[in-house]
Parts: sequence; structure tokens; C-alpha cells
Amino acid sequence: MQMDFSVIIPEIAMVSLGVLVLILGLILPKKSLPRLGWFTSFSLIGILALVVLNWNNVGTVSGGLYLIDQFSQFFKVIFLTAAILVVFGSMAYVDKHLGGQAEYYSILVFSTLGMMVMASANDFITMYLGLELMTISFIVLVCFRRNDSESLEAGMKYVLLAGISSAVLLYGLSLIYGIAGTVLVVEVGMILAVQQSLPLLLVGVVMLVAGLGFKIAAVPFHMWAPDVYQGAPTPITSFLAVGSKMASFAILIRIFVLGMFGVSLSWGILMAILAGVTIIIGNLVAIPQTNIKRLMAYSGIAQAGYILVGMVTASQAGVKAIMFYGFIYIFAVVGVFTAISYYYNLTGSDEIKDYAGLSQRSPLMAATMVVSMLTMAGIPPFAGFVGKFYLFMTVVENYLWLAIIGLIMSMVSVYYYLMVVLVMYRDRPQDSSPIVVSLPVRMTLIFTMLVSVVLGVYPGPLSEIINKAALSFFMH
Amino acid sequence: MLPMFDGIDWLGVFFYILSAVIVVSALLVVFSKNIVHSVLWLVISFIAVAGIFITLNADFLALIQVMVYAGAICIMVVLGIMLIKRDDMNKTNMFNSQLYFGGAVALMVTFLTGFASYKINYSGNPPMVPENSVESIATLLLSKYVIPFEVVALLLTVTLVGAIYIAREVKADADS
Amino acid sequence: MVQFSMHNAWLVPLLPALSFIIIAFITKQWKKTSAILSVGSMAISCFIASLAAYGVFSNYTLTEEPMVYSVKWFSMAGLNIDVGVQLDPVSAMMMFMVTLVSTLIFIYSIGYMEGDQGYSVFFSYLSLFGASMLLLIISSNLLQMFVAWELVGLCSYLLIGFYSHKVTAREAAKKAFITCRVADFGLLLGLISLQLIFGTLDIVELSGKISNFEQYTSMGIMTIIAILIFIGPIGKSGQFPLHVWLPDAMEGPTPVSALIHAATMVVAGVYLIARTIFLFAEVPPVMDMVAAIGGFTALFAASIAITQRDMKRILAYSTISQIGYMMLALGLGSLTASMFHLWTHAFFKALMFLGAGSVLYALHHKGDIWKMGGLLRKMPVTGYTFMVGCLAISGVPPFSGFWSKDEILLTAFDSGHYILFTMAALTSFMTAFYMWRLFFLAFTGQAQHEVQVKESPRTMTLPLVVLAFFAAIAGLIGTPWAPIWQNWIFSVHPHHPQANTMIMLGSVVLALAGMYLAYNLYYLDRSKAERMAEKYSFFWALSYNKFYVDELYLWFTHTIVDGGARLFYLFDIYIVDGIIVNGIGSLTKSFGSRLRLVQTGSLQSYALVFFLGVLAVAVIMALTDPSMALGLMGGVE
Repeated sequence: MQMDFSVIIPEIAMVSLGVLVLILGLILPKKSLPRLGWFTSFSLIGILALVVLNWNNVGTVSGGLYLIDQFSQFFKVIFLTAAILVVFGSMAYVDKHLGGQAEYYSILVFSTLGMMVMASANDFITMYLGLELMTISFIVLVCFRRNDSESLEAGMKYVLLAGISSAVLLYGLSLIYGIAGTVLVVEVGMILAVQQSLPLLLVGVVMLVAGLGFKIAAVPFHMWAPDVYQGAPTPITSFLAVGSKMASFAILIRIFVLGMFGVSLSWGILMAILAGVTIIIGNLVAIPQTNIKRLMAYSGIAQAGYILVGMVTASQAGVKAIMFYGFIYIFAVVGVFTAISYYYNLTGSDEIKDYAGLSQRSPLMAATMVVSMLTMAGIPPFAGFVGKFYLFMTVVENYLWLAIIGLIMSMVSVYYYLMVVLVMYRDRPQDSSPIVVSLPVRMTLIFTMLVSVVLGVYPGPLSEIINKAALSFFMH
Repeated sequence: MLPMFDGIDWLGVFFYILSAVIVVSALLVVFSKNIVHSVLWLVISFIAVAGIFITLNADFLALIQVMVYAGAICIMVVLGIMLIKRDDMNKTNMFNSQLYFGGAVALMVTFLTGFASYKINYSGNPPMVPENSVESIATLLLSKYVIPFEVVALLLTVTLVGAIYIAREVKADADS
Repeated sequence: MVQFSMHNAWLVPLLPALSFIIIAFITKQWKKTSAILSVGSMAISCFIASLAAYGVFSNYTLTEEPMVYSVKWFSMAGLNIDVGVQLDPVSAMMMFMVTLVSTLIFIYSIGYMEGDQGYSVFFSYLSLFGASMLLLIISSNLLQMFVAWELVGLCSYLLIGFYSHKVTAREAAKKAFITCRVADFGLLLGLISLQLIFGTLDIVELSGKISNFEQYTSMGIMTIIAILIFIGPIGKSGQFPLHVWLPDAMEGPTPVSALIHAATMVVAGVYLIARTIFLFAEVPPVMDMVAAIGGFTALFAASIAITQRDMKRILAYSTISQIGYMMLALGLGSLTASMFHLWTHAFFKALMFLGAGSVLYALHHKGDIWKMGGLLRKMPVTGYTFMVGCLAISGVPPFSGFWSKDEILLTAFDSGHYILFTMAALTSFMTAFYMWRLFFLAFTGQAQHEVQVKESPRTMTLPLVVLAFFAAIAGLIGTPWAPIWQNWIFSVHPHHPQANTMIMLGSVVLALAGMYLAYNLYYLDRSKAERMAEKYSFFWALSYNKFYVDELYLWFTHTIVDGGARLFYLFDIYIVDGIIVNGIGSLTKSFGSRLRLVQTGSLQSYALVFFLGVLAVAVIMALTDPSMALGLMGGVE
């Protein structure tokens, strides 16, 4: 069988990078290990450039099992960007708290690869394996804080709960396979379009929703998120919040919008209800939190609810809205978490009250957190506003109640974000010495902040690109 | 394919016997108070699953099932148990306080899936199983399914590296 | 030159925006450079704006036929949003007024903020504010306007909390933000409904479509939309019942109070309604509501201002009250009167705030007017310019406030809303009273303080003099005998109410009566005032405590909002985690004990919830999809 491997050059490069980092970790002297972070990040930038350069180089590999279209290309851009920012943001943290740079960066690269596979997978088997590659890598990364019972406990919880969710997901996939007789998503779509509704399909859908709902932390499958987010090393938390979530959305879109388009009326309302409940619970429970990572976990749950809104209509506009929101979501989340992890590096605390007076100690960190949080709250002119606008515009016609819930709850979210902002800007610091922000962290912070502002003020070009990418998704 | 003797569907008989074994042994895995007993029931359950694979002519899968699950995995579990000291082996596999509630939920989920599966007519003809399944699986793995295959390889690498890393750190702590 | 300015009005917000970026990223260290950049950019904007305004007025452009320049902003299936510049008399006037007042206040800030740690930051915020406000003014699209609307809110919030070391400033900033969010929510809902029904948010297109809205929707929906949109201005312009944030906002630096919370941002609400007056004009009940809320707020805020002791708070309530006037005029359908008052108010209120700032600067930021006294002799420039402001706001001819207030009273009288007219007249009397109370207490009599007072520096007094000049004469362009203004700014057709000598005389008499009462109580014999307060202690307490509205809101947020959130949190951790997992009995134990896992939460219960979720999802699906439900019950084989 002849195959055109040129379209999967980025994936091949990722494998090589992961292995290379591992080997370098073995042969380099111990004191130059911290440089691996720079090496990884610049290599990732190179791979990102490869993806962007191959933007129009689309096609399929291995008999349609692996699909490279602009939709998957765009998601790969999301994952790689997130990975690059996370690596930049985590260098200081890794060197100080973790060690094991080679393992850390190479597993991070592999988990990113898992996400890329998920974005391109066109059949249940590849999808599931990509998901597992990502999940297993994350389990290792979550446990990476040695000696720390919190981290190990988080890892243990994640391994068991992710196991349950994987089993459920696999069960759902096998039921769908049982009905359709094929694992190819496109073919499943064609078969289900003419199929009558079956109870078994219902169970299959339920299992898929549960399995993927777990990964995106949608209520009621969200219980793991606060604990794991809190226990994991902070850079990993941010990667978990962005990468894992968006990759799962990629296959959620692939399976549901493409594979079950024919029965979209059956699951549309379900998605709407899940989105509504997730938005409500996530935002309300975030209010009384005192730990910033738990706060961000609940906020992340709420964000998952917002993104789910784009699924409801199973339309091009919805897919586009998800992609747009996903893209800006990276910068907001990574911005906040980079600041959090850097601050933890200095003070060893994740409690919100310890952020008192951050604006005086490091205006940059405080400003980045404010901009990122306002983006997540959807306040103009930051990018989140445009993103939410796209998302909710897709549902105002048929599910107005959902849009209203979303709007009310974004207001509520302002309330708890504001409490963090107040602590940073209004309270007096206990130690008022200025914080010197290291170069990679500074770069990450400034970059994320700029993107949040620029995309909010001028979203046009990105929106055009995503329009085309979302269109390519429906072209099969 | 097993032939049908005397009008009895032997395939069906085997299926129900094996299924009963699987269900009972799986329940015993959960309900045994001694965790070593649980592992033994687990082995039986795995072997019975391998039996079902054989009735479906998936002999390669059956082989893997016996070797990997019944063999390697269960031995790993036993080793793990061995390394963790317990005074009273009869209290190693305890229930938490949610027996009834958890049981109820499990029953309901079982009912849901069971009912849904019962309601469907499998009318389509499954494709013929090739004579030499090992060979065709090998061909498929390295041609059509090469990408998933490679992903599995990476998955194992990551698992290995991760396990070694986490375990090594724990050992370093114990030494210091 | 004039043509250039009219075609390139987008430069007006752009220049301050550029200065914001330059200050924030480059010149932060050099204080003087930052200040000069900020003032300079605004001055150039002012120049361009005045040329553009000249062009608009000399052409007698109609409000209904503005000049629009726009470009595409973003789009999705079935939705195109443009951004652009809309030049018409209303926006030209606002643009000119805002740039002029801003320039003066920026100059004033050079002196006022001297020695402050965040000098450059302050100017960068000011520039950002200027840019956003101007963007709001020239918006040709309601979504663009909404973005700018949020931006000015953000700046206002940043600037209120500028003295972040003060607890009161923090609380005030929080209050402003949250109150305005509540209001903006209504506005956003209104805008979304407009977009849904009419398919556009472009102001010109909308006005065309709304004039025959029956093709699109019903009267009831239009009423709801108008009310939703009106909620935004209620918050932004501090109208009852969302006025609570504005007095607290005085915790910010005084130039900010003058610029944002008196002259410009708070009138954005009035401006928004003026922009969408074609919409409101279609729904008379909402117009009446606007008028009623405006009239009530005017009276309500004035009755609070009477007893307050803090100089800036009095001015804040006065601002609320005056904006109430503008709303009243708008609600009665007179764009002319409303915009006229907005125009004159900007000058005299900015003047008075800056005067107050000058006084506070001299007294080391002690704002209690009972502890001032005798300042007129020591600070002559501040004192006399402040007096001009007081004359203007009380409505003494020929100062500016007289003409615009007269226009409003006349409109109210002509429209036949006599209750509203009486409220407005009463407010006029109270305004004169509390402003002169402030003046007499602060500037005359014996000094009640131990500070060595001296006049403020030149950079501060110069803007005072310029503003005093405008406060004195700005009304002369709209007298009944020379109605220049009335021929410039109007909706549909020019508004020429017949000069009513009775009303004119009456309003002068009311103003003089208020002044005389204040003179009597606070100049001749101050003990009389205290006796009055004791005699009417119930009303005095009611007014002094702002009718307890703040307390009501506080109670509400504490019990309802915080309580609700706590309830949900309890549900998430105690019910799920506590009852399902451990049974109620061990609930307390599980929380006190460290033996438990480090974090909140237990594994099995999570797994349990997961499968409960699976069941719930199945039930939802079975219920929401009829064919599925049938299938599950065995209907489909």
C-alpha cells in the first residue's frame, strides 16, 4: 500500500523530538539539563511552523484512517501553541521543583502528539489510542511533583477515574461500531443518517458523552477536575485545562457533528442541557473557592460549558465558534497559570489571599492575570467577548434560554474573577519587594496578554481563517 | 466452527456457560474479602473471556488474552500485593460505605445497557474470519493500521518512562 | 483642513490610544514626557474635533443623515459587524466637548498629581479613557459602541481604585464595576434582541428599519427591547435605582471625578439614548418611563445632596441629579434640550469638581465642608471660579446653566407633564440651595481648619479659568432670542419652544430663593442650620443616609448572592461527598480529620457520581427525544 507520508511530517517530527529529548537527557551533563526546555520549545516552534507551512497540504493516510484537513491543522496549531507556551512558562518551575527535565519535556511532547493524533483521527481506534497516549502522558505528568503526596494523590485519582471514563468511552465506541459495522467516522455518519433511532444508539451516545464529558470536565463528570488541577504541577494543570480539553473537543466534534449528524436532533438538546448545567455549576461553585487553582478548575468547568454551547446546533457556525474560542482560551488559561506557577515558585502558596498586593510587586503578572480573567469572563474589548459572542449567537435562535443562562453566568463569573483582582490590586502585600520575572516567563506573559487584546480588538483575519477551516471539516 | 450435534446449538451452550463463569467470577473478584482470592477469580474470569474468543474463532485474541491478562497482569498484581505487607489477609479487599448505593447504580447501568442490547436485531452478516488470523492481523497492523500501531508503541514507551521515573524518585526518597 | 478633519475623524480616538500605548510600554519611567504626550495627543484631537465640528455645523448636517465611514470588523454566517465613524451634530458636539474638557483636565492633572507614585500610570489610564470615550462617541455601530462602553467602564474602574491603598477606594471600585455589570447585562440583552430581530446593529440601518418595525416584530417586543437598552444608561449614568456607585466613585483622584464621573463618561448613558432616540420614539410608554426616572432621580439625588458633608459627594449627587434632568428632557422627546444641558453641565460641573480638587489639594484631602470655611480670601482664583460654577448650576442668568435648564423646564411645561415639571422646578430650587450651602460653608466665614492654605499652582488654576469662561458663556448660543443651538441639534425637526417669560422668571426666582435660604442658614447664622436639622431629624437622617438604598443592596448581596453560591458549594462537596460517601453521621469527622486524603473529595464517590451522570444523561436523552423514548420502551424494533 502506497502512502503519502508528507502530510504527517509534523507528527513524525514530534516523535523524533520526544525521543531525542529523552536521549539528550541521558547523554547531557546534569547541569545543562535546564537547557532542554529551550531546546524543546524552539523545536516545537519549528514544528508549529511546519504545520502552518503545510496548511494547505491536506490528505489522508492509511486508507482514510488518518485525516489531515484544515480542521485538524487548526487544532494542531492550538495544541502546539499551548505546548510552546506551557514549556516556556514551566522552565523555572521544572528546574526548581521537579527535576527530571528530559522525562518531563519528552512526555509533554508525547502528550501533545496524542492530541494531534486525536485531531486527525478519522476512526474510533486511532481516536481512542490518541486519547490514551495523551491521558497516560498526563497521568505521569500529574504525578511529577516528587515527594508531594498531593501530586501523587492527584495522579492516582486521575489514573483511576480516567480509567473508568476510558472504559465507558470504549464501550460506547464499540456499541456504535456494533450498530454501524464500521469504525470510520465518515462511514458511521452515512449509515446513521439512514438508520432508525435505536435504544442501543442511545446507550452508545450516552457512553460517548460520559467518556468525553469526563475529559472536558463537563458536569456531572467534572468531579475529578478540582482535585487533579490542584494537585498537579501548575504548568501541567494549564496544559490539562487547555490541551486535554480542546483535544477532547476535537474528537467530540468529529464523532458527533460528523459521525452522528443524522441524529443530531437527538443529542442537540442533551448537549444544550449539559452546557447549561455545566455553566451554572462551574460558575457558582467557583465563588467560594480560596485556592486559586481550584478556582481556575471550576472556572475551567464553566468554560467547558461555554464551549459545549457550540456543539448544540451541529452547524458550521458552531464548529467555527468552538475553534475560535478554543484558540483564545489557550492564551487566557496559559497566561493565568504561568503567573500562578511563577508566583508559587517564589512564595510556595496557591492561596488567593497570598496574592495580596501582587500588582505592586509585579505589575506584569497582575496585569496578565487581569486581562486573562477578563477574557474568560467575556468582557469587551478582550478576545473572550468575541468568542462568547460567536458561541452564543449559534444558539440564540433555538435555545434562547441557554444564551441567557450563559450571559447571566458570565456576569457571575466577573464576581469571582474580580475577587482575585481585588486581592492583587487592593490589598497590601506582606512582602513588598518587587518580583523579577524571568525571561521565558515574561515572554509568555506579555505574549498571552497581547493576543487576548489584539484578537479582541481585531478578530477579523483569524475568524476568516477559522471559517475556512470549519468549512473544510464538512467537506468529506 | 463447531458443528451442530443432535439439533443442539453447542455454540450457544458454550457461550452461556462461559458467560455465567465470567459473571460469577467477576462478582467474586469484588466480593472476596481476601485480595489474593480476588486475583485468582480474576484469572478465571480472563480465561473464560478467552474461551468466548475461541468460540468466535478469534484464536489469536484468545491466546493474547491468556498470556497477557491471565498471565502477566495477574502476576503483576500478585507481586504488588506481596510487596505491601498486611497482617490479616482477610481484610485486604474491604468495602466502603456505599455498597448499597453503588450496587443500585451499577444495577441500573447494567439494566440500561442490557435492555438496549436486547432490543436490537443484529441482522447484518459479519465478515468471514480469515483462516490464518495471525498473519492477516500482522499485515493489517503494518499496513492499514500502521498509525494506530505506532501510537501504541509510543504509548508503551511513555508508560515505561513514566513508571520508571515515578518509581525511581520514590526509591531515591527512601534512601535519603 | 476642515474637510480633512471630517473625513478622518477616526484620528480623534486614535491619538489618545497611541499615547496610552507609548506611555504604557515606553515612557513609563519619564513622568514629564508621559504627561506631555498625554496632554499633547488630546490637544491635537481637540483641534481635529473642533474642525470637524465646525464642518458639521456649518453644513447644518441632519442627525438623521449622518456622515458614516466604516470598515468590516468581523463576520460569520449571516452576521456582519462593521466598525466606523459616524459624524452628525450630536456626535460632533460631544466630540468637541469631550476633547476640550479632557484637554483642560489633563493639564490640571499635571499639577494635581505632582509627586504621586503612579504619575505615568495615571496619565496612561487617562489617555486610554479618552480614547475609549471618543470611540464610544463616534461609533456607527451599537456593538462597537458597546465595546467602547465596556472600555470606559473598565477605565473608570481602574481610576476609581487608583488610590489602591485605601479600603474605601477598593470597595468603591468593586461596587462601580458590579453595578455597571448588572446594567450592561440588560443593555447587551437589548442589543442581541435588536440584532436578532432586525439583523443589524448599524445605527443608520437600524433607524431605517425601526421606523417601520411592524414588519419585523410587535409593539410588546419593542417595548421590552427599549427597556432593556434603557437599563444600561440607568447604570452608567447613575440613575435611580443604580445610582449607588457614583457617589462612592469619588474615592478616585479628583481630575478623574471631574472628567469621568461628571463631564463625560456618566453622560454616556444619555448619549446612548440620544443615539437610539428613533427606537425610543416608537415606544411612548418607555419614553415616559425615561422621563419619570429622570425626573425622580433629579429630585431624589438633590434631596440627598442637601445634607451631605463631603464636598465631592455633594457634587456627585448633584451630577446624578443633573443627569436626571437630561434624562427627563430626553424622555419628553427633546433631544435639543437634553443635549444642551449635557453641553453646559459638562463645563460647570467639571469646573466645580476641579475647584473641589484645588481645595482638597490645599487642605490635604480633607473633604468635610464643615471643616473648611474662609477659603475665598486665601484661594481667590479657585473661589471665584467656583462661584461662577455655582451661579451656572443654580440657573442664574446669563450663566450657561440657566439657558439649558430653562429649555428643559419649558419642554416639561409644554409637554403637559405638570408633575414632572413640578419635580424639575423643585429640584432647581434644591440645587441652588445645596450648591450655595456648599459655597458658603467652604468659602466664607471663619476658617475651621488648621492648615496653611495657599492658592494652587498655575497648571491647576488655568483650566479653572478657562472652564469658568465656558461655564459662563456656553449657554449663550441657545437663548430663546438667538436659537443657534436649536437649529443645530434636533431630532426630526428643529425645536423652537416659545419663550415663556413666566417660566423664565419663575426659575430665576426659585434659584434666588434657594440661594437666599442657603445664605440665611449657612452665612448669617450657622447655628440655625443645626436647629433645622434637629427639628426635622427624621427627614434629615433619611437624606443624610441616602434613603438607605446602599444598605438594602448590601443586605441583598450578602444574603442572596453569597448565600446562593455557598449553597451550591455545599451541595458539591458536602452532599455529594459527605452524605453519599460517608453518611451524614461522619460528615463532621471527615472535615476535621487530616487522616483523610489531602484534598477535598473521595475517589469512590467521584466514580459513583460519574455513573449517576451516565444514568442522568440517559434519562435526559430518553425524555427529550421522542423516538428514543419510544425505542427504549420497545416501540421500535
